[in-house]
Amino acid sequence: MLKPKTLISVVIVLVIGLHAVPVLYRKERGTFWPFMQWSMYKNSRQAGPIEVRQRRMLAITSKGAIDTVTPRLVGLSITVLQASYLKPIGSGDLSPVPELIQRLNRHRDDPVVELRLESEIYTVTDTGIARRDEPVVTYRADSPDSR
Amino acid sequence: MSTTPARRWIDRWNAYWFPATPIRHLAICRIVAVGAQLIWFFPDLEEHRNLLRKNPEFIEPQLIIRAISAIVPRDLFFTPDAFTLLYWVTAIAGISALVGFYTRTSLLVFALGTWIFVSHLFSYGDRHHTEAVFAIFLMLLVIAPSGESLSVDALIRRRRGAADPVSSRTAQSEMAVWPLKVAHVLLAMTYFSAGMSKMLFSGLRWMNGYTLQGHTLGDALERGHPVGIWLAQQHTLAVALSVFTILLELFFFLSLFLPRLAPLFFLGALGFQVGLYVTAGYDFFQHMVLLTLLLFFLYPAWWQTWLARRHLTGTPRLRGEEAAAQPR
Repeated sequence: MLKPKTLISVVIVLVIGLHAVPVLYRKERGTFWPFMQWSMYKNSRQAGPIEVRQRRMLAITSKGAIDTVTPRLVGLSITVLQASYLKPIGSGDLSPVPELIQRLNRHRDDPVVELRLESEIYTVTDTGIARRDEPVVTYRADSPDSR
Repeated sequence: MSTTPARRWIDRWNAYWFPATPIRHLAICRIVAVGAQLIWFFPDLEEHRNLLRKNPEFIEPQLIIRAISAIVPRDLFFTPDAFTLLYWVTAIAGISALVGFYTRTSLLVFALGTWIFVSHLFSYGDRHHTEAVFAIFLMLLVIAPSGESLSVDALIRRRRGAADPVSSRTAQSEMAVWPLKVAHVLLAMTYFSAGMSKMLFSGLRWMNGYTLQGHTLGDALERGHPVGIWLAQQHTLAVALSVFTILLELFFFLSLFLPRLAPLFFLGALGFQVGLYVTAGYDFFQHMVLLTLLLFFLYPAWWQTWLARRHLTGTPRLRGEEAAAQPR
């Protein structure tokens, strides 16, 4: 039978060693929690004006109620909501709109009939932070064209 | 008497991982970690029920979720009702682990429940780093003698006459500090990995100030953190904080080899984590709890010495005051 110190030593080596799996084995990079690779916020930004865009999507129902499209409302994580819907729609690709409306209406009595994308750009200036609103883009459930 | 090189390595290994330390310190770690997980980091049941209701499939199932799915049919375990049951079982196990009743078993159930909840949350295409090291630490407490002191188990043992109440207060064990040491190594690895990825991916440009200003502005605006919005407008400060970030992340591992200076590294990292939260809302609260435990219990000599000095200098003064109060 293994002595306690030997057993614990095996556990220690295992716990530390398993952290190599997501680094070496690409397929498990995102699905080996709690053993993860830690490349966070690794991207850099070139010297120049600091600008960020804030987006929010509103869902308007047939009865006129307005909901902000949040991860909880859609039942998705923020990463998937951003990558699959908000970013493509924000850049003019309307193909995910019907799917998003379908997802939103899955468990609703009062269906979503319209999506409205609002966004603004914030810029750091010498006198503070300047806000510039971008045109609101609206999508109807019956027609995926923007208005 | 000569020792073989293998024996010397084993002795070094044992000296690092298994020095005798007070079991009371480990018990305090158990209480703080379990208490924080129960009160502060406990899963949001409604969030899990919502995900289960709105998603017939996982998007990117975590290993633990795949393992469970391979054994138990999805429609039996991954349902809102089953998760409600799991939630309450985990909560009850947590309370039991907190007070140290059937400590090992309740810690195991509590840690397993926590792992399942976090893995489930991260099986829908999103994952975060905040919970990982803390969840591992909770699981390590199962194997360590976490319930030997400050627990109902210890009280029962004393009642039965199996333990001496005085010795249990001062008792030491060679098995009482290795979970903290593992947490220390893992934190050093995570910081180093985060720092290296920044250097390999972006190089020195990561410290140009604009990078930190951009990251901070976006997240501070989204999460409503006015300090971050202010920081995003301070270029020189952003350069200084970027350099501090890289230095801390790349060189935190030195604390593994410099035990006397380790508390300073822990304080620096704690300040770093608090700063990240205040400026941009990066909520690494689990790291903060772990760093606090490391600060007080991995190398406790600094505060023990301080307390001893205070006691020594305080006593004569007290005596002096008593003497002065005596009628002449």
